[in-house]
Amino acid sequence: MQHIRNFSIIAHIDHGKSTLADRFIEICGALTAREMAEQVLDSMDLERERGITIKAQSVTLSYRSRGGETYQLNLIDTPGHVDFSYEVSRSLAACEGALLVVDAAQGVEAQSLANCYIALEQGLEVIPVLNKIDLPNAEPDRTAAEIEDLIGLEARDAVRVSAKTGAGVADLLEILIQRIPAPTGSAAAPLQALIVDSWFDNYVGVVSLVRVVNGEIKVGQRIQVMSTGRSHIVDRVGISVPKPQDLARLTAGEVGYVIAGIKDVDGAPVGDTITDARRLASSSLPGFKASKPQVYAGLFPTDSKDFQALREALAKLRLNDSALHFEPEASSALGFGFRCGFLGLLHMEIVQERLEREYALTPITTAPSVVYEALSTDGKVSYVANPAQLPPSNQLVELREPIVLADILVPERYVGSVMTLCVEKRGVQKQLQYFARQVSLRYELPLSEVVWDFFDRLKSVSRGYASLDYHFVRYQRADLVKLDTLINGECVDALSTIVHRDKSHLVGREVTSSLRAIIPRQMFDIAIQAAIGSQIVARQTVKALRKNVTAKCYGGDVTRKRKLLEKQKAGKKRMKRLGKIEIPQEAFHAVLKVGKDQ
Amino acid sequence: MPDKQPSAIARVSVPALPAAFNFAAAPPLAIYVHIPWCVRKCPYCDFNSYARPQLSVPESAYAEQLIVDLERELANTGDRPIMSVFIGGGTPSLFSPCALGQLLAHIRNRVNLTPDCEITLEANPGTVEARCLSAFRDIGVTRLSLGVQSFDDPQLRQIQRIHNAAEARVAAEAAIRAGFQSVNVDLMYGLPGQSAGTALRDVSIAVDVGATHISHYQLTIEPGTPFWRRRPLLPDEDAIADMQGQCEAQLLAAGFRHYETSAYGQDGHTCRHNLNYWCFGDYLGLGAGAHGKLTDVRTQTVTRTVKHSNPRRYLTSTKADKLTAVHRHLDPQEVTSEFMINALRLVEGFPVSLFERRTGLPVTVIEGVCKDAQARGLIESSGPQIRPTALGRRFLNDLLMLFV
Repeated sequence: MQHIRNFSIIAHIDHGKSTLADRFIEICGALTAREMAEQVLDSMDLERERGITIKAQSVTLSYRSRGGETYQLNLIDTPGHVDFSYEVSRSLAACEGALLVVDAAQGVEAQSLANCYIALEQGLEVIPVLNKIDLPNAEPDRTAAEIEDLIGLEARDAVRVSAKTGAGVADLLEILIQRIPAPTGSAAAPLQALIVDSWFDNYVGVVSLVRVVNGEIKVGQRIQVMSTGRSHIVDRVGISVPKPQDLARLTAGEVGYVIAGIKDVDGAPVGDTITDARRLASSSLPGFKASKPQVYAGLFPTDSKDFQALREALAKLRLNDSALHFEPEASSALGFGFRCGFLGLLHMEIVQERLEREYALTPITTAPSVVYEALSTDGKVSYVANPAQLPPSNQLVELREPIVLADILVPERYVGSVMTLCVEKRGVQKQLQYFARQVSLRYELPLSEVVWDFFDRLKSVSRGYASLDYHFVRYQRADLVKLDTLINGECVDALSTIVHRDKSHLVGREVTSSLRAIIPRQMFDIAIQAAIGSQIVARQTVKALRKNVTAKCYGGDVTRKRKLLEKQKAGKKRMKRLGKIEIPQEAFHAVLKVGKDQ
Repeated sequence: MPDKQPSAIARVSVPALPAAFNFAAAPPLAIYVHIPWCVRKCPYCDFNSYARPQLSVPESAYAEQLIVDLERELANTGDRPIMSVFIGGGTPSLFSPCALGQLLAHIRNRVNLTPDCEITLEANPGTVEARCLSAFRDIGVTRLSLGVQSFDDPQLRQIQRIHNAAEARVAAEAAIRAGFQSVNVDLMYGLPGQSAGTALRDVSIAVDVGATHISHYQLTIEPGTPFWRRRPLLPDEDAIADMQGQCEAQLLAAGFRHYETSAYGQDGHTCRHNLNYWCFGDYLGLGAGAHGKLTDVRTQTVTRTVKHSNPRRYLTSTKADKLTAVHRHLDPQEVTSEFMINALRLVEGFPVSLFERRTGLPVTVIEGVCKDAQARGLIESSGPQIRPTALGRRFLNDLLMLFV
């Protein structure tokens, strides 16, 4: 156990985390050059395409130190987007140390800061690393000063590396084994293993990534999942090098996977403890704080036949994405579906993409909403995650919206435009502080404004330099209204949204005109209206098509005409029928698009 | 509730499609002969045709192969009479009256033509002279169909036809004078840069020269054609709809009856051959790429066949059974939708009994969908007749989509 080191890398997107991990793998010879695809750690297709890490992954490396001893290095990857900050604490719980990787040309950014605080709170040894020192505009000294100013971490001797060229990486490994403590725990004690991550594999069932804290876990052993009390026989254990490699056992201090024939997706919840069924541990390990979804949206199967398939797919995704919440919901426009809670819009997009790629499902997603607090005339307070369920206005005393405290780090020359953006988003400034190269801004902002497109806008007004971290502080009364969309006079519940009164007319105009562009001309005129209560604030019309008939005669070749019609019909099936009208799926995102094209 | 007059669309839940057909008798039978060559291929055309100079078309070899093809087909049809022969293309008028005469003579020799059998020849202006038109009449062609498309020079150049307006007019007049029982003029609308005015002028010229039948098609841009790759600028959808509406009104005013989506005929001049398609009759398809459909009462099957579309392959097949590229049985679902795709093109629709005779299936299989279509205002029924409404005719694709 003295030769085991469990660690994570904390870094902002693009600060070089994956590249650094690749260098470690290379130095330790885990993969031959031919096997070495760029950035092996990000294994989901989606992660590769987006270039960001979403789910925790691990890799076990065998490192021969300069002192001639062999160390087992377990690198547990952490997600690098603001939407996923909670998942970081999960990965860190399996570690004794972390590398804080900062781009020496760009400086510290807000989210690394937040993650670094989590690591320090959890008692981890944090080693600052200055990356990209090969870049001509790298300023390692100023960056080191910034780390000291912002985090209070000794950084004068921070390791300087270039993950791209490999410079300094070998030194970093030596420092790592010296500074990060070996795990503590007892191989002889009853088994306690923390489930860091679980995912569903169609062939073997549930696969769990675990950190063995005490005892050992071996093939053939009868284990028990402490929260469910159910026991299972271990089929396989092993490590990822990064290809899976089966072993006979995992012992205290080690990180690896366990497969125990668990077919039920709820069978191995993340954060739970695994113990030996014949020799129970006296207590569970402290798990993780359950993450709270920030935004909710309805997911409805395009074809009502797919309801059950959607339920199963969501359950499987939830297995290793505990931040995903869902419960059945019925919409008059879209039928039966699920109200799903997400950490943010990126998380929502990722869930949508995973449903499509991994389960071939393309549900209709309604406009996302934050959770509002509604005070009714009878004195009751309810939480509303679905605009359609807002109490009627005559029973509503007031509506309160969630407010977050946002920390923004931005180079000085972009401060003005960031402040303008915050004002536009109804922000209230709380603090402004100058550091070496960056300015730290603290604002209170309505969460609804932040989850919308704030992050994208922030990036664009600062040319990508600003960084953001935020957390919920309180609910606050606001002048909010429910904006409905009516199609041919019928309110479409799935298109309702809650907006600030000052913006409601603008949003109404934008939603109706974007719907007009999305909904194809049909057999009848289609009136699209935006309304607050009974007051119509915007109107557009999709003029009826004059005809839809193929005059061409196909002679004897009717089969061809039939196939053509079948194809058109399949296209129509992807639309949702509301009365006589067919609405393309994109229409339900019209609310989401508001303001994005400006 | 008191009994009402039984309606063609009763309130019956949709039963499962029967697994088998129940045909009491075979439908009428026609023959389609395909000639796959043109002097030049038009940029919008996606039919099976190949550009070739008139003199190099292998007419005698092809005519012989058509006869081999016919003999093979007749083995399946017994002594069923033939109610129509249609020689289409391509440009069948590239063939000499002599070659086509021998083919028709052979057909007459081998099968019973009904007394009122219609024999149609497609011809393109620019490939027919007055002299050969009478020769075509003499070999027994009763109906001439002229691929005029437009009587307007700029329009004809846009769609790259080989003839000009004057030639089109001369050919049409010559066809009338030659004394065919019926003369059809094909016209296209929705052409690049076309106005309602020029479309109406085309219609009035066709009426004036004495056409007894006018096929009025909208130009559609099909995959695989030069126009698909380089799309011409077409009038917008609303302008095309206006054009169609005005032309239709003008044709009705000139005494033509609108009996099918694109077909207008004077009394007694509807196209029997096409009506056989639209009423879901049977037909033998002879020639390269020709489609056939045959109902067999003995085996209770409906078969679709397609001949090899490449003329060289078709010509060099030494055994008759090698001429066929596709041969497949249709299932009840396919038969149902193909019947509806055809029959709902008819302005007057169809009687329920025709559905049952032609598909060998009980009308109950379409009742549920018909009810839906009726609720949407796309079809109506009176007594035993089911017909598209005016709305259903304008939105025929939406209507047909319910049945596929």
